[in-house]
Amino acid sequence: MSLKVAIVGCGKIADGHVEEIQKMPELARVVAVCDLEPLMAEQLAARYGIARHGDDFGRLLAEEKPDVVHITTPPASHLPLALKAIEAGCHVYVEKPFTLQHADSKRLIERAEAANKKVSIGYTYLFDPPALEMRELLRQGALGEVVHVESFFGYNLDGAFGKAILGDPNHWVLGLPGQLFHNNIDHMLNKVVEFFGDDEEAPPLAAFGSVRRAGRFGDARDKMMDELRVVVRGRRTTAYGTFSSHIRPAAHFVRVYGTKNTAHVDYVMRTVTLDAAPTLPSAIGRLVPAFAQAGRFAKAGGKNVVRFAKSEFHFFSGLNYLFRAYYRSIVDDAPPPIAHRDILRVSAMLDEIFRQLDEQRGGLS
Amino acid sequence: MTALVTGSTGFLGTALVERLLARDGADLRCLVRQGSDRSRLDALAAKHPKAKLERFVGSLASADAAAKAVEGVDVIYHVAAAMGGAPADLFLNTVVSTKHLFDAVLRTSRPGARPRVVLVSSFGVYGVADLPRGALVDESTPLEPHPERRDPYSQAKLRQEKLCWAYHERDGVPLVVARPGVIYGPRGSAFSGRVGLNLFGLFLHLGGDNPLPLTYVENCAEAVALVGERPEAVGQAYNVVDDDLVDCRRYLRLYKQNVKRVPSVSLPYPLTVAVSHAVERYHRFSQGQLPAIFTPYKTATSWKGNRFTNAKLKALGWRQLVPTDEGLRRTFDYLKAQTAA
Repeated sequence: MSLKVAIVGCGKIADGHVEEIQKMPELARVVAVCDLEPLMAEQLAARYGIARHGDDFGRLLAEEKPDVVHITTPPASHLPLALKAIEAGCHVYVEKPFTLQHADSKRLIERAEAANKKVSIGYTYLFDPPALEMRELLRQGALGEVVHVESFFGYNLDGAFGKAILGDPNHWVLGLPGQLFHNNIDHMLNKVVEFFGDDEEAPPLAAFGSVRRAGRFGDARDKMMDELRVVVRGRRTTAYGTFSSHIRPAAHFVRVYGTKNTAHVDYVMRTVTLDAAPTLPSAIGRLVPAFAQAGRFAKAGGKNVVRFAKSEFHFFSGLNYLFRAYYRSIVDDAPPPIAHRDILRVSAMLDEIFRQLDEQRGGLS
Repeated sequence: MTALVTGSTGFLGTALVERLLARDGADLRCLVRQGSDRSRLDALAAKHPKAKLERFVGSLASADAAAKAVEGVDVIYHVAAAMGGAPADLFLNTVVSTKHLFDAVLRTSRPGARPRVVLVSSFGVYGVADLPRGALVDESTPLEPHPERRDPYSQAKLRQEKLCWAYHERDGVPLVVARPGVIYGPRGSAFSGRVGLNLFGLFLHLGGDNPLPLTYVENCAEAVALVGERPEAVGQAYNVVDDDLVDCRRYLRLYKQNVKRVPSVSLPYPLTVAVSHAVERYHRFSQGQLPAIFTPYKTATSWKGNRFTNAKLKALGWRQLVPTDEGLRRTFDYLKAQTAA
């Protein structure tokens, strides 16, 4: 059975969705794409040979009857579009952030569960090869019990998307409650939520944000925060989150600190390495670990060479894995790859972070 | 006569503003986006204190925003286009922004009194892949029949031009299209993809001895200004390319002599074709693990080699202001200074 997929929102990320879906014809196929701007729908359909495109979402749902709708629009429209798709009998895959606020996220999940529809969210890094490898280490017990997790997400405001935000005083990112953070820190938070206990909804946290850039525009853009630190106090596992637009290189990693070992999971280099520790006495004990660490990186790099040779080293590996897992969950009526609990934990944490940043802004003014 | 220039802070846009200021009684409205660098426009304003040079802060992000810019103008020089970025961004900032511009024109003018629009298109819109080697490209050469096989920039420029023709034919907006070849000059880039590509520090010279359709930025700007003021140009397209062209090999040699040494290797065209077949096959086999920079179609488009004519533009009265020798000298001086900086 090949699921019929429709995509609504034909911006940059929609390209990645279409490309990956077109690699799994046995599971799914894109039958239609939709955008409020017909030219944007047309360009996506033309470049990927998609049969149908248009600007009327309701009509597309009625006529194409897709099994799954991928929502890749700016976040403010996620909730109404997802509800409409569920109402039309579709499963929904929503890009991050899920909705604009926790209450809306809860409503959307409840509506999907009531309609017996599968929901997923674009947490692709959770399924990148290093994340899968780290989870395997956890399963084997190599890390022991996880004491603390550190999640770092570096951002480049000079990149194409950063430039688009700063180039337009009316850019939709500036209108989000959490602005730049709101569109990005799902990727910082989603990597820590799986470590909290089943009985913890969203652990208490403390957040601090700031603007490090010099003002250039004399409007609201100059006030957009670009640095964020978060400390999360889970009952058994604590976490730090760092979002930085200025630290170079713009790193992207998770460090998982366990009672047996500490793993460094690097999403840029796509490596997982355990921290080396001295095993020999005295000065020798201090000499050896650097080489041991180098050896571990060499081994991880070697694994990547093998993956490359086997054509398993794509940019969107995680997206591909997630789509496959999500579609299989639909076909087999099995639990979706990302627990609804974790989607809601992230959305609750986002609410709390932005509440604290609002307070902080109020205190500063 | 009031003229609006979009993209006025850009490479060609600023040169166009300068050519329009060189005409008597210029009354210009330059569309500048908030936050963009206006220093060169400011310098032009200082140089021409008697000219009317409005710097109009706005955008083409919506028809509403564009309406304020187009209100009351007689001619619009539409130079603004995205030069890079993701395909969706290229379409948004080239095609959708053009739609907003035309919708604004329809909203703010009456039929029969529409402002004339001069679109700066590109040689990239021609479908040359299936033409024989050395074929002459003039304005009657068909537009690209397979945009999906081309790079996103060319796809966006092609869609933009077709959209403009639709407004011309359906809504009676007077349109002139200028199709420049490779615009070069100080502040421009060193190499057109027609010469070759830089691959990790090694320059792959792929253009062989093909004619390089250069147009010095000032010459190109003069052509754009000219087609905007000639009534007989409405409804026409014009190739914009200089007279005394150099070929790709000579350009590379002159660059090395005058700017800096770059390690380069020349690939004969049949070898480039063979490599692009291999690259395309690997791209398919690996499901896109590496991008298909070369495909046989793109290779045929860029490096098979065509000749170009500017006869139609010259018949309209265009003359090359800056000879190619002088244009190259100025460009290489600039590039050398950049390298030293």
